[in-house]
Amino acid sequence: MGVRFGMTAAGLALVAALAAGAATALASGAPSGAAAVKARQQNFKQLGGAFKAINDELKKPAPDKAVIVANAAKMHGLAQQEATWFPKGSGPEAGVKTGAKPEIWSDPQGFAAAIQRLQGATARLQQVSASGDLAAIRSEVQTTGGACKNCHDHYRVPDRH
Amino acid sequence: MRDTAAPRVQARLWDAPTRIVHWALVAAIGFAWWAAETDHMDWHRLAGYVVLGLLVFRLVWGFAGSASARFASFVKGPAATLAYVRSLRLRAHAEVPGHNPLGAWSVLAILATLVVQVVTGLFAVDVDGIESGPLSDRVDFDTGRLFAAWHHASFSALEALVLLHLAAIAFYAVYKRADLVRPMLTGRGSFARDPGLAFAPLWRAALVAAFAVFVAWWTARGLRL
Repeated sequence: MGVRFGMTAAGLALVAALAAGAATALASGAPSGAAAVKARQQNFKQLGGAFKAINDELKKPAPDKAVIVANAAKMHGLAQQEATWFPKGSGPEAGVKTGAKPEIWSDPQGFAAAIQRLQGATARLQQVSASGDLAAIRSEVQTTGGACKNCHDHYRVPDRH
Repeated sequence: MRDTAAPRVQARLWDAPTRIVHWALVAAIGFAWWAAETDHMDWHRLAGYVVLGLLVFRLVWGFAGSASARFASFVKGPAATLAYVRSLRLRAHAEVPGHNPLGAWSVLAILATLVVQVVTGLFAVDVDGIESGPLSDRVDFDTGRLFAAWHHASFSALEALVLLHLAAIAFYAVYKRADLVRPMLTGRGSFARDPGLAFAPLWRAALVAAFAVFVAWWTARGLRL
């Protein structure tokens, strides 16, 4: 009886330990594909919102340099993190609506180059923003938009909105 | 009814401004559609400003233009509309000099949809924050995206209305033997007797056109002089 109780207790302890371990792994491990898609969309929304803020200033007769500088910095910061927004499993197989094409994972070198192009553009955008030279800012905004489109043309499902 | 002995008269129906606006709208909307589909957004905006100017002209012309262009002359109540609908199945063409009571509602629907189309485009932002309408700096990113979604939805409505418009023209051509296209090209229609319509002077059209151009130009500049 005593032995059996001890065996059962040990078994229960083992099961509990395994369950706790699994829970820890789930909590701390890679997020599910669907969650990664949602997080990525939020990040891109931040990026688009920052770009819109810069474009909005450039529409005004007297653009606010501080707003452009702040949003260029935000864009460059986001561009630095962009490569981490595409964990394996967050493509079409995630089971939620995403514009991410499988090519992102089947052509990692091309995708990395596309992100690098954006990072180069946002770095220059940040530099010229600080200078306050509106013509140069407009030009870098064009280049940055081109870097966005370059990646979208290859790695994003066309969105008709 | 065309073959009856009574002689038919050719008389002025649509003035030149109304016809020019009609066909320019067809061209500008078609071009805007093509430009959007092929990602030529600079051209799309330009076409949108042209549509805006034409729309402003047509709406003002609906109050200050020639008789056949005035809303007050062709927009009728439900009773008159229903009576006209009942006459639709008759092969004889119930001759109305200009828009008939049912077509009037189609005109209003198309103009209203175009207003929605233009206004939503002014505030719309694309998913990347790159392309946007001239007034998009007045709204935040999410609102601009909402305007873009409405801009799409209203274009679908416009497509449906254009199809209905073409179907109606085909119906009148085949079933009623009435040609609605030629008068919109030549300005003259065929009537049992001259309807004696009043026409607005050209200087008034020039004045309204100048106002329409100003509104379009001012809007393109983000309502900044």
